[in-house]
Amino acid sequence: MEFLHVEGFRKQFAGTEVLKGIDFDLPKGKILAIIGPSGGGKTTLLRCLNFLETPDEGKVFLDGELLSDAKVSYSQRERREKQLKFGLVFQNFELFPHLTAIKNILLAPDLLARDRVKEQFKERRQSVKGFSARKALKKEEKRSFKELTAENKRHAEELLRQVGLSEKRDSYPSQLSGGQQQRVAIARALALSPEVLCFDEPTSALDPELTGEVLKVIRALKGRTLIIVTHEMAFAREVADYVLFMTDGVIEERGTPDEVFLHPQKEKTKAFLKHMEEYHDE
Amino acid sequence: MNSFWNVTLALLEGFGSTCLIFAATLVFAIPLGLLVTFGSMSRFRPLKWLMRTIVWVVRGTPLMLQLIAIFYGPALLFGIDGFDRVPAVIVAFVINYACYFSEIYRAGIEGVPRGQAEAGQTLGLKKSQVFFHITLIQLIKRIVPPMSNEIITLVKDTSLARIISVTEIILVAQEYTRQGLIWPLFYTGVFYLLFVGVLTLLFRHTEKKLEYIKI
Ligand SMILES: Nc1ncnc2c1ncn2[C@@H]1O[C@H](COP(=O)(O)OP(=O)(O)OP(=O)(O)O)[C@@H](O)[C@H]1O
Ligand SMILES: [Mg+2]
Repeated sequence: MEFLHVEGFRKQFAGTEVLKGIDFDLPKGKILAIIGPSGGGKTTLLRCLNFLETPDEGKVFLDGELLSDAKVSYSQRERREKQLKFGLVFQNFELFPHLTAIKNILLAPDLLARDRVKEQFKERRQSVKGFSARKALKKEEKRSFKELTAENKRHAEELLRQVGLSEKRDSYPSQLSGGQQQRVAIARALALSPEVLCFDEPTSALDPELTGEVLKVIRALKGRTLIIVTHEMAFAREVADYVLFMTDGVIEERGTPDEVFLHPQKEKTKAFLKHMEEYHDE
Repeated sequence: MNSFWNVTLALLEGFGSTCLIFAATLVFAIPLGLLVTFGSMSRFRPLKWLMRTIVWVVRGTPLMLQLIAIFYGPALLFGIDGFDRVPAVIVAFVINYACYFSEIYRAGIEGVPRGQAEAGQTLGLKKSQVFFHITLIQLIKRIVPPMSNEIITLVKDTSLARIISVTEIILVAQEYTRQGLIWPLFYTGVFYLLFVGVLTLLFRHTEKKLEYIKI
């Protein structure tokens, strides 16, 4: 079993089966590209992995351990812990319009830090007696929260630098180009250090001249475990270690980029690749 | 002596009741409206339909009728003592306005893109954190204009309280009219205009403050 192991994902929407039993593996630090025609279930698959959708059936194993099972219902807290193993970059960025670039990145880590510190001190607070001791504990709690947020901030600034947007630190999303917004969204997802980061057509909402800067940022993430749904065939070929061709809710073909792009076995794959080529030539 | 000064003082006193009804309605109806919204958006069907029916009835009948029903209803139906006059007015207004507000909130919540809540969720935020840190401020931005409208209407609706003999400003002025003095009635308009003027400035200020959010 590889680092990420997905087993038997099925999902229906109002009687139509959108995922018809999806199985795949992805080793740690490798990049998986998922390609396929519209409506094939690619987005649904990513949404299931990220707990935005509950599959009707299926299991996810991470690092050899069962992470989630569709048959089990998890509490909000368990779900939150599991959710943090995955990250998702959306097609439409979904930045928070009322927060600056840096605050978009910091919102979740800071809230998480607050919850974790609270949890940590909860037990100790119950056992401590006396006014001054309680006060000292409160001070300590405040200090450890402050330390964590300072660390978060350093990390966020580092991430902004990584995506080349240090100077846009205090800009609102509306003041950024689409490409810049998507780079902030990538930094935001990275801030929580997910084990697996998923991208759902990260450049398809962008003007062609802006896709390059986003692809460059993703390229630089090599070494992390990534799942990228994309219509950019050249990009998929270049960065991916493995490729899945998905259509009608099944994985029709899989392999290395060379296998899938140069020597496709299935008719559907050939037809799709030919279609994409023609589309590209237009 | 019905000097200008005396009339002004008398009207001011009536205007005090007007302001009291106005303030109490806002203080209670703004949060209550949010509860009604959550109820009417609930996935629990019976609650949803109950709330939607209440909203339908309240918005579908005149406020004047609701005032009368709440003030006289308990005595007529069950033979018990109901509310005093002022509390009856406040209860009726709070229920009425909470229903109107709830529909404004609902439109506001539905207007915040679902994708943002999902983005928050994938970042490990709890539902309450998504609401308070992502949805709420955008919701406020969206509802300020329609809420301003409702709140300005409320200023003038307070004059309905005179139906059950609460001495708000119009009722005071009508007292003078009965004595043959007509100008105090028109003079009340000045009070309303000044009040609404201040509110308008306040709303405009709020809108300016939220201008940085582009949605
Ligand atoms: N919430 C939903 N309710 C009902 N049907 C849905 C829902 N989400 C997706 N579907 C359907 O599931 C099918 C697969 O959708 P999905 O978005 O996963 O495809 P996709 O491969 O991502 O397509 P695209 O390349 O266009 O993004 C589609 O037929 C879609 O209409
Ligand atoms: Mg899709």
